[in-house]
Amino acid sequence: MIVLDEKLTVLRAQMREWGADFRSAALELDGDPEAIRRHFDLPAARFLATMGIPLEYGNEPERIGGHRFDGSTALQRVVVMEELACADAGMLVASPGPLLAGVVVSLCADEAQKKWFYRRMLERPLWTCFALTEPDRGSDASAVETSLTPAADGEGAILNGAKRYVGNAARAQIAVVFARSGCGPMGLTAVMLETPADGFQAEPLGMLGLRGARIGAITLEDVRIAEKGFLGRHLPPIRRGLWAFVQTFNLLRPGVAAIAVGIARAAHDYVLANRLALSPAEADRIDALGRRIEGTRELVHLAAAAVDADTGNGHLASAAKLRAAALAEEVTLAACQFFGPGARADHPLLDKWVRDARAMEFLEGTSNMQRLNVFQSLQTRKLSSDNPFPVLA
Amino acid sequence: MAGGRRAGQGVTAVDGAGRATLGTTIWSRCHRAARDEGLAAAIDVLCSELLPGLVPCGPAGHSVLPAGVALGGRVWLDGVTFGAAAGRMRLLAAFDLPGGPLEAVRWTGPAADPAAGPNDYVRAEWVLGLVWLRLGWSEGLRGHCLRYLRGRRTGDSTLLQQQLVKGSLADVTAEQLEIRAMLLGCEADRLTPQFADELHDRITVADRAQLRLLGASSMLLGGPGEEAYVSELIADAWRSG
Repeated sequence: MIVLDEKLTVLRAQMREWGADFRSAALELDGDPEAIRRHFDLPAARFLATMGIPLEYGNEPERIGGHRFDGSTALQRVVVMEELACADAGMLVASPGPLLAGVVVSLCADEAQKKWFYRRMLERPLWTCFALTEPDRGSDASAVETSLTPAADGEGAILNGAKRYVGNAARAQIAVVFARSGCGPMGLTAVMLETPADGFQAEPLGMLGLRGARIGAITLEDVRIAEKGFLGRHLPPIRRGLWAFVQTFNLLRPGVAAIAVGIARAAHDYVLANRLALSPAEADRIDALGRRIEGTRELVHLAAAAVDADTGNGHLASAAKLRAAALAEEVTLAACQFFGPGARADHPLLDKWVRDARAMEFLEGTSNMQRLNVFQSLQTRKLSSDNPFPVLA
Repeated sequence: MAGGRRAGQGVTAVDGAGRATLGTTIWSRCHRAARDEGLAAAIDVLCSELLPGLVPCGPAGHSVLPAGVALGGRVWLDGVTFGAAAGRMRLLAAFDLPGGPLEAVRWTGPAADPAAGPNDYVRAEWVLGLVWLRLGWSEGLRGHCLRYLRGRRTGDSTLLQQQLVKGSLADVTAEQLEIRAMLLGCEADRLTPQFADELHDRITVADRAQLRLLGASSMLLGGPGEEAYVSELIADAWRSG
């Protein structure tokens, strides 16, 4: 059995308590993704607004059990994300905060960029977005076509291209955009810009599930990027671009897996709370689903601890995300079967979770991409059969 | 029994009583023996550590044991013991495997005194050990698949480089990792019979997925296909219901 330490156990309990407000707003947000604007003052939303801002940059999150949690480790983030996703994944991803962009900043930004970004995030809740995926190229970072070319007048660079399937794209006040400034893996660059900006246009896409994420499309037409917006400008080229992209995704992936576990748990808990007279076969089935959830959660925790120990150690995160995405779909569909015909109409939360779970398949890379990552770890022998979870060694 | 600290930053593997579990355990030795040497060696580890001098059999008397062991001592039938002379053994099948010869047997015996045999906890340990054993063997099969597929060519490449093959191996690996994560720190008394059955079933599904990658060679006697079959027989002998 994998157990969390005392601090993380306290964090989990607090998130579970705060999550109740998220659950109350779940269906409202599903119907109107902008409803999040009415819930900025919820404790969980306030926590998310600064999660990822290190304490040394002035972040003073509310003490929880005597501790301050800044969300700067993957393990903290998976604990938060599972609990809040179990309450409502839509509210979790709709809430303003550094989230994905914050991880890129923490890895790649220089000191001045960090100070600027964290100060802006601490002033008031801001949405951020992380723009990598492109209409014709998906999330293949090596195939990014959005271009970053030096400005003719020598003032910074010009961004041109299109992005798609970007969470919170249309309401983000700060965007991190991946673009190509040269050939090869070192030609990939991440830039940070404030919106609105001339030439930056974003609009939400109609989505079936996880509507709180307000997934959208962005067009970039001659968007000027000041040099101070070039993330990793202080780093050698090999530590920017594709390297930064891979490390970022390694750090984020356990969090997405945790969201998937949270959705599965929500559906599982819903059955236990609402189907009181289970037949022995049904009871066995729901117990088995519970054990599946617990097993995947343990893998997610080990994967998060692994990337905290070494950001290059992402193969466990891929395995965890692969398992968790399948789990979310399986458990949400199975939960409906406990309520007979018309379950989805009669139980709108279940129907919502079924739809939300489908997003887990593609967020932070599809399951097929995760499979390729896991395979790579086999081929390169990065995955040790003697000690597959090095963090426990 | 299982012992050694396994602590990371924020996460720890513990037993059912909250004690940190040890790194070098019977389970890890059994797992490694199954992976590197085969089923016979791993069963030897379990027998010598948990039931020395006994012939372990499942609830209906079935067992899979290294050749010769089935007549080598008092019979331990799912937790109760009797002398070999008081029962009857039937040899069901013999397997000549790369990891050593094994026999499938069935013992029947007198109604036994439950107080005479090892306690329920030892029985639960044995069941947990069998899950570790089968997982270890399954991971060894993964290594065999990698070597086999690396050596088989299709067009200008190897079978191992085909994306469908990569995907299958990745799915199996993720499943094995999840099972391993669940077993870490899992004390015997926490492994319910249903849970043990589920884990055995999941290992069987993972093994079958790997065997499919070996094509017709997976059906050859004396190879990994036959050893996978014997691994299934082990699970079958100890199934809870």
